[in-house]
Amino acid sequence: MGEKIPVREGVFTEGPDGGALLANQCTSCGQIFFPKARFCLSCFEEVMKEIALGRYGKLYSYTVSFLPSTHFEAPYAVGYIDLAEGIRVFAPLKMLEEKPFKVGMEMQIAVEKLWQEGDKEVIGYIFIPI
Amino acid sequence: MREVAVLGVGQSKFGKFPEKSAVELGREAVWAAIKDAGIRPKDIQVAYASRLYDIFVTAQDVLKEVGVTSIEMINVENACAGGATAVRCVWKEIASEHYDIGIAIGVESMTTSQIAKKAIPPGKDDLDGHLGLTMPVSFALMARRQMEEYGATVEDFARVSVKNHQHGCLNPFAQYQKEFTMEEVLHSRMICDPITLLECCPNTDGAAAVILCSMKIAKRYGTNPIKVIGSALLSGDYRYRQKDITFSAVASKTAKMAYEMAGCSPDDIDVVELHDAFAPEEIVRYEELGLCKQGEGIALLRSGATEVGGRIPVNPSGGLLALGHPLSASGVRTIAEVALHLRGQAGKRQTPHAKVGLAHMMGGWATGLEGGPSCGIHILSR
Repeated sequence: MGEKIPVREGVFTEGPDGGALLANQCTSCGQIFFPKARFCLSCFEEVMKEIALGRYGKLYSYTVSFLPSTHFEAPYAVGYIDLAEGIRVFAPLKMLEEKPFKVGMEMQIAVEKLWQEGDKEVIGYIFIPI
Repeated sequence: MREVAVLGVGQSKFGKFPEKSAVELGREAVWAAIKDAGIRPKDIQVAYASRLYDIFVTAQDVLKEVGVTSIEMINVENACAGGATAVRCVWKEIASEHYDIGIAIGVESMTTSQIAKKAIPPGKDDLDGHLGLTMPVSFALMARRQMEEYGATVEDFARVSVKNHQHGCLNPFAQYQKEFTMEEVLHSRMICDPITLLECCPNTDGAAAVILCSMKIAKRYGTNPIKVIGSALLSGDYRYRQKDITFSAVASKTAKMAYEMAGCSPDDIDVVELHDAFAPEEIVRYEELGLCKQGEGIALLRSGATEVGGRIPVNPSGGLLALGHPLSASGVRTIAEVALHLRGQAGKRQTPHAKVGLAHMMGGWATGLEGGPSCGIHILSR
């Protein structure tokens, strides 16, 4: 069993319920940032608090790429998911034959292995149609 | 600020030239521009060159081939807007009276670069890039929203490609001088649903050069010089502020700045060259440049107005789709193309009686910023 490494430190949490994205929120104006901002990019407040984003969202747009990317073999699916907090997240999508992608459909996050790097498993977030 | 004129333009043939170096392509374009201007190489006082891959004193390397050394030379990078950036820099040098005559060069040899036959790799910090966000993916996501919000169809996207390939047949410098039918475009290989292979710009080698000068000098060489009446360059905002990915705020703002400076409106524009790296993109650019209202780009395309012979030809050169897209060269080449139309020297693709033209170029990608966070627009008039 290889070592597991996150695609990026501090951008998601692996919980017993399937994980969630980690964002941060400005303590002054309330703006939320994903990935986290070092300080508020709207009002420049420096005190930020970490929050876990909701695990469900709506599919804003999607595509299936028939060209490989740096880490994914073709075909692979990706898209933007709009979360209730007003955050639009770019993420890999799971293709399910019984649930073809449709703009506006409900999606749920999962944290799982994205690709292999040598003997390490790279773990990250994907969204699955529900 | 004083007025600036376009004295000379030139480009190499665009295509795949693995036997030619970037410097050789650059020399071809620079020599053509010098001949076109009718100046001696030694008249050039300042040079800006743009090149994205293998960059290393490109201006010096190219200009030494035509006998130009020992002047101020600066090399810039701004993704696909790099060439437009180089032209704007030379414009500023002349307008602010630092120099009287200068050259902007854009050059890219994709087939001899380290990314030849590869997709452009994501930067280390580019989280979205590592998660699969490539350039065709970003435009496919936009295209899906155009279909959702404005009723765009796959046939609309194919129509852009058919149009620009028809234009490419009129341009002897184009990489693809071949017409394609709607069926051929729609049934070419799927790249990123809904974008097919013939709706993607090719990898291209090529170079372009533009020589700018003060009006005083321009009048020595001719009676009716082409003027740069608008020049604007802006960078994009954070993506969290962007609600609609089918409308680029930075392109729209840059266009407004350029129109304001030029003292004209979109109605005054006779010919447009713009960034059509992927066919669906051309339609949103119509709207951002104000050629029509937001959401009416599809209707403008379907009306035929943007074809050569139409009311407002867009990408008569063949655009990035057919002429080809040597990344840093395109932003110089679009300005050269517009200048040819205003002079009445654009051959079979000439826009009749063109008085004012606009050249747009944008590009780049960074996680956290709106797509294409670098945008340059120039407006030329005769």
